[in-house]
Amino acid sequence: MGRGNMERGPFLTLLFDPARVFRELADAERTRIRAIQRYLPLLLLLPPACAALGGIVFGWRLGASEPLYLGTAQAVIVSLLYLFALCFGFFSTVALARWMGVTYGAEGSYRVYVALFTVVCAPLAVASLAHLFPHVFFNVLVMIPAVIWSMALLYRGLPVVLHIPPERGMLMSSALVGWLLVAAVSLLGISAGLWTAGLGPAIRI
Amino acid sequence: MQRQNPEIYEDRVVVRLVQFSVLWAVLGMAAGVWVAAEFLWPTLDFGQFWLSFGRLRPLHTNAVIFGFGVSALMATGFYSVQRTSHVRLFLPGLAWFCCYAWQLVVLLGGLSLLAGWTSSKEYAELEWPFDIAIALIWVCFGIVFFGTIARRRIRPIYISNWFYGGLIIVIAMLHIVNSLALPVTLDKSYSLYAGAQDAIVQWWYGHNAVGFLLTGGFLGMLYYFLPKQADQPIWSYRLSVVAFWAFTYSYIWAGPHHLHYNAVPEWVQSTAMVMSLVLLAPSWATLINGVMTVSKAWAKLKRDPALKFIVLSLAFYGLATFEGPMMAIRSVNVVSHFTDWTIGHVHSGALGWNAMVTYGTFYFLVPRLVGAELHSTRLANLHFVLALAGTLLYILAMWASGVSQGLLWLSVDRLGELSFGFRDIMAGMRPYYGLRLVAGLLFWGGTLLMAYNLFMTLRGRRTVAVSPPPVAEPWRLERGAAGIATERARA
Ligand code: HEM
Ligand code: HEM
Repeated sequence: MGRGNMERGPFLTLLFDPARVFRELADAERTRIRAIQRYLPLLLLLPPACAALGGIVFGWRLGASEPLYLGTAQAVIVSLLYLFALCFGFFSTVALARWMGVTYGAEGSYRVYVALFTVVCAPLAVASLAHLFPHVFFNVLVMIPAVIWSMALLYRGLPVVLHIPPERGMLMSSALVGWLLVAAVSLLGISAGLWTAGLGPAIRI
Repeated sequence: MQRQNPEIYEDRVVVRLVQFSVLWAVLGMAAGVWVAAEFLWPTLDFGQFWLSFGRLRPLHTNAVIFGFGVSALMATGFYSVQRTSHVRLFLPGLAWFCCYAWQLVVLLGGLSLLAGWTSSKEYAELEWPFDIAIALIWVCFGIVFFGTIARRRIRPIYISNWFYGGLIIVIAMLHIVNSLALPVTLDKSYSLYAGAQDAIVQWWYGHNAVGFLLTGGFLGMLYYFLPKQADQPIWSYRLSVVAFWAFTYSYIWAGPHHLHYNAVPEWVQSTAMVMSLVLLAPSWATLINGVMTVSKAWAKLKRDPALKFIVLSLAFYGLATFEGPMMAIRSVNVVSHFTDWTIGHVHSGALGWNAMVTYGTFYFLVPRLVGAELHSTRLANLHFVLALAGTLLYILAMWASGVSQGLLWLSVDRLGELSFGFRDIMAGMRPYYGLRLVAGLLFWGGTLLMAYNLFMTLRGRRTVAVSPPPVAEPWRLERGAAGIATERARA
């Protein structure tokens, strides 16, 4: 079961020694890949869970005098949709990256890609602890360094893990950044559409 | 002697236009930074009318779009049309006239905005004397450009020229129709249109200015300079041509998406919404073409700071052209309209796409124009980091404040009354405006670095004389003394 590897690979390695993780992924170490993948469900669950909890307890503070509260049922539905969106975002990114990989001469199995993106999204997921206190500006402040961190991981890690020269990695990473920007704005657009449709905070048009 | 020799490209006007473009970038973005600061400290106008938000804001938009953007498009248009036609510019003197007359209009126009002259039509604020001058200069621009194409020595008209040509024709049409007005005094006129008609004509102009200038014109730049920098042919030439026509056809309909839920007929809004969604296809066809073209040129990235700007500009182009159609959906627009989300969208296009692609092009072009190396690659790399950070920070800040505003404007309490007042909401947005100011300073700082870098590259050097290379047989177009094609070689 590769317990030995598990022991030297706690969650913190993921965050603080990504270079080592990338090298091991590049060597396609089975146990390592599996160990990392094990964190994926946690990382995907963390943001919606924190958002639900924070939203119910504190209400969303958008900068106006009073927070906006959602009913518990609504908050749970919205968080489930959030979870769904994150899962969709994650796996579509993996699929897209594999599809693009052909153009950039990348090699790696499906599992390697999943592990790579798990590492890349780890800082973002951890930063989503900020959702526990759903003050939008506070969240923005926490998320900005996390975004930079994740982007740095993407640009540094991708060429190592997928065995391509750094310049080619830069192109592929940038293509993915383009995709992720689109994904982020889609999330905003879908949310706005759902609010208009009556799900979420009470607004009138 | 260079000026007289018909066998040498007229590149000095290109250098001059690039210099003006950089100057307007620095000044226009300084105005943007100032306006951004006024959101935090409204008293920054020091009680002066000309420093007030209402006057500086149009100065910002006019200086960046018409000063920086159009000068860059003229420069790159003149440069590339000569190379793709294998012939010197038609009427170089007229090209010089366009260069200086345009700068004069932007300068005096900017001052007139500060003085409070305005037609109050967004992006067409300049009053009627300027409108007439712009129309005349634009026609001259067209004569130089199409004259050069008419005298070309190569049969095909390369795709970049279609985009530049589209820019010239469509902007002329939009500008003239939208600016029709009855002058009353030198500084005041009344539009020929009234009410809903006025709104529809205005946004037919406004959106297609975005379409054919900020998107189409810059795509012309991309289609010429990207393959040059990448040293690769366009991935699919056929796709580029199909995308051009699809783009031209669909853009024209999309204007009324700026008028959702306004007093214009609902079918007009719905048509615009549908056509905006359709627009995603040609926009992204070009995106794919660009991405596939650079994907083969990765080895160049190591030495060339310019290419990095182009790669990232493609990512932001993809973002802006996806975000736009999404915001054109009525149920999204009802939240995004009247918020900073629109401002975020504007600047993901303006900073991430227009400015980045232009910077990348200038870093490539300027050293070649004077036959020297770029003064400092390190500064260019630093500029890249500043530009990327500035753009991302600007967009993230505006997304967060925009969505918050959208929700807060529309929030109702149990009695169905609005929960929050306008002033309270705006006061709550101060932190985001602080972030935006930082973003603007980063981006502007990078632009200053570029200005210095390009200045040092140009300093004390002469424009190199380049003559058209011979054209291979099946493509050659022979010309008689009068410049008329006399003999058509067939493939
Ligand atoms: C397919 C492409 C695009 C579509 C369908 C689109 C659509 C839209 C929509 C729906 C709005 C908001 C209108 C409102 O609520 O008032 C908007 C605003 C704007 N967009 Fe885009 N957009 C696209 C691409 C771009 C690009 C590439 C730029 C480049 C800079 C750009 C610049 C702008 C500007 C300047 C505004 C603000 C207009 C104003 O003053 O209100 N757009 N666009
Ligand atoms: C240092 C960089 C820049 C800063 C700090 C900046 C800042 C601003 C600010 C504060 C506004 C007013 C927003 C509002 O009224 O809520 C604005 C509007 C605008 N800016 Fe910029 N800007 C910058 C660069 C540019 C560039 C390079 C372009 C175009 C190529 C551009 C195009 C526009 C346009 C079109 C608007 C009007 C948007 C609308 O009406 O919806 N900006 N900018």
